[in-house]
Amino acid sequence: MGIYVKVALRNLIQARRRSLLLSLALALVTTLLVFLMALSQGLTDNMIKTATTLTAGHLNVNGWHKPSPGLSAPLLNDAAEMRKVIEEVTPDLDFVIDRYHGWGKLISDTGSTVSSLSGIDPAQESFFLDRVQLAPESAYKEGGSDEVKGDRARIGQPGTIMLFAGQAKRLGVGVGDNVTITTETLRGAANSIELTVSAIASDMGMMSNWYTFVPKQSLSEIYQLKEDTTGSLMVYLKDIGQADATRVALAEALASRGYTVMDHESEPFFMKFEKLAGESWTGQRYDVTTWEDEGAFLKWTIAGFNGVSVFLVAVLMLIIVVGIMNTMWMSVRDRTSEVGTLRAIGMKKRRVLLLFVTEALLLGLFATVVGSLLGGALASALDAARIPIPWDAAKVIMLSDTLHLAVRGDQLVRAVLLFTVVTGVAALWPAARAARMRPVNAIQHVG
Amino acid sequence: MRIQIAAILLACAAALPARALTDAEAQAMLKVQDDRQNSVGDYQALAFIERKEKDKNDQVYEAVVYRRDVTEKLVILFLRPKEEAGKGYLRVDKNMFFYDPTVGKWERRTERDKIGGTDSRRQDFDRSRLAQDFVAKWVGEEKLGKLVADHLQLEAKPDADVAFPVMHLWIEKGTNNLLKRQEYALSGRLMRTQFFPKWMKVMSPVKKAEVWVPKEQRIFDEVEKGNQTTIVIRSVDLSQLDDSYFTKAWLESKSR
Repeated sequence: MGIYVKVALRNLIQARRRSLLLSLALALVTTLLVFLMALSQGLTDNMIKTATTLTAGHLNVNGWHKPSPGLSAPLLNDAAEMRKVIEEVTPDLDFVIDRYHGWGKLISDTGSTVSSLSGIDPAQESFFLDRVQLAPESAYKEGGSDEVKGDRARIGQPGTIMLFAGQAKRLGVGVGDNVTITTETLRGAANSIELTVSAIASDMGMMSNWYTFVPKQSLSEIYQLKEDTTGSLMVYLKDIGQADATRVALAEALASRGYTVMDHESEPFFMKFEKLAGESWTGQRYDVTTWEDEGAFLKWTIAGFNGVSVFLVAVLMLIIVVGIMNTMWMSVRDRTSEVGTLRAIGMKKRRVLLLFVTEALLLGLFATVVGSLLGGALASALDAARIPIPWDAAKVIMLSDTLHLAVRGDQLVRAVLLFTVVTGVAALWPAARAARMRPVNAIQHVG
Repeated sequence: MRIQIAAILLACAAALPARALTDAEAQAMLKVQDDRQNSVGDYQALAFIERKEKDKNDQVYEAVVYRRDVTEKLVILFLRPKEEAGKGYLRVDKNMFFYDPTVGKWERRTERDKIGGTDSRRQDFDRSRLAQDFVAKWVGEEKLGKLVADHLQLEAKPDADVAFPVMHLWIEKGTNNLLKRQEYALSGRLMRTQFFPKWMKVMSPVKKAEVWVPKEQRIFDEVEKGNQTTIVIRSVDLSQLDDSYFTKAWLESKSR
């Protein structure tokens, strides 16, 4: 085998200009692929972070209460008892928190916006409070300073509201200003509450447009809820990778204890209102979901991005494949008499084929390793630079205010393997043609 | 001399504070409001809804309203503008549905929902159910401009499904015309103020009496100051309607 590698290397060096040009093209496409994979991974990381900070735990037990067939509300009665059950039956459990869910109109003196309302208890929310970054005043106020106003310690305190920068901008409010929330109770009666903005957080992509955090007491007051009622219990596991398997186990465990568990549907809870309102049952049911279900609509963004990436890389790959085949054809033509001689002294067809394929594989391996390292380095450098995204639309798609790329070793290896194999496969046809040549004709060939 | 004495007595009577109405009398005033507005039979009217919102262009909608009060059925079908044409609401058995022909889907809505995103609500187009849903108390006699009105405070009955649990009404003395209504949230915050500057009478063949219809309603959003909705009712017809009007199929057919 070593002799083939030696011959292949010698041939590549002999045609160094051609080899270098092809390597460069291959390396660039590999760099692009690695870069796009890092971007996609960054998007996925952002999605996990955003979803598990704003809207969901790794697992969620959402309560649905229907006082009459036409009314449905995201309410979980007997929260303490359910929490106990979850703690008992969930392996790999890290911690459990509970949040109220609501929906209302936020109104200031100068503007209004609608938002999902999350009722939080700051004593349970150290995870959330660690992840939320307060925004400088300039992020939500025209001509504002770079000073961060507001107090993280006051988030979730009675009479306060935490907004995201985009919402504060729309409402035209700053820290210390008042916001009125209007909504309807479960029975449809209008209700309102006045809250003071205690903190304004940096946006976390499109989801932060719709989420506002208020103390649990405020939501309890506005919706007139009983003490042991909540919206959902959010379960955090030690390993988020176990979320799907644990969901199935938890749903089964709850069902076996007599709780009515709804059929699993991969949709966020707020997309289930309409369907549930049309169902005839009344009472309390439970819905066990994962963070992916609650952020399912975010997956469309990633799927769309990945679709465009695959298309782009496929087109470039096609061009590269044509280039490799062309190069190999030229190599075969240049070395036709050499092939004839090798065949005449007894080299088998299979070995001739192997010789050319090895040449292509070596070229591919070298180029893709260089390209992967280059792409990895570039992505890591851009990620470390935390480049702010200047366009609102891009922020929405990227689910972040700054460019985030995540490079994973297994992705680099996959990129190298993919392109090396593609290079080898592209060389098969010219190599097979070389192997099939009759020695007597090949020797006489004048290149 | 007699004339002078009579004039003095009249002036004294006018200066005296109005006699407080008992709770029963206040409740009876609600009943009067309901009775004079209810047609008993069917109801059909053209409604123009103008919405003014702060920092936005004014919007005008034209809709046709069909009601069958005996069975509590209601249809509101939007005719204009073009992009709203065919959208509609249907209430059957206390269930309110909204139809959007652009997606061809029915959505369940609450009875308290705003109509067409304006500040108007179902109750602004529906029959009056004040006595059924609220308990009234007389607050006092007040002047609204040149008009003298009884001011009533209404609180929702425990089992009533109403958008605003507390209301204040101003009813003109003598004519019994509702002049003004203020609606409050559970928190006690004033949410809407509604004025009824014009009323009209329409003869009902079923009731065999005149029915009072608010010709114009001006609704002011008290939370988002600057938002305002005006409803103008025209072409009221109280003759019997076909049963098919109060079906999903009929509403769907209007957009085909």
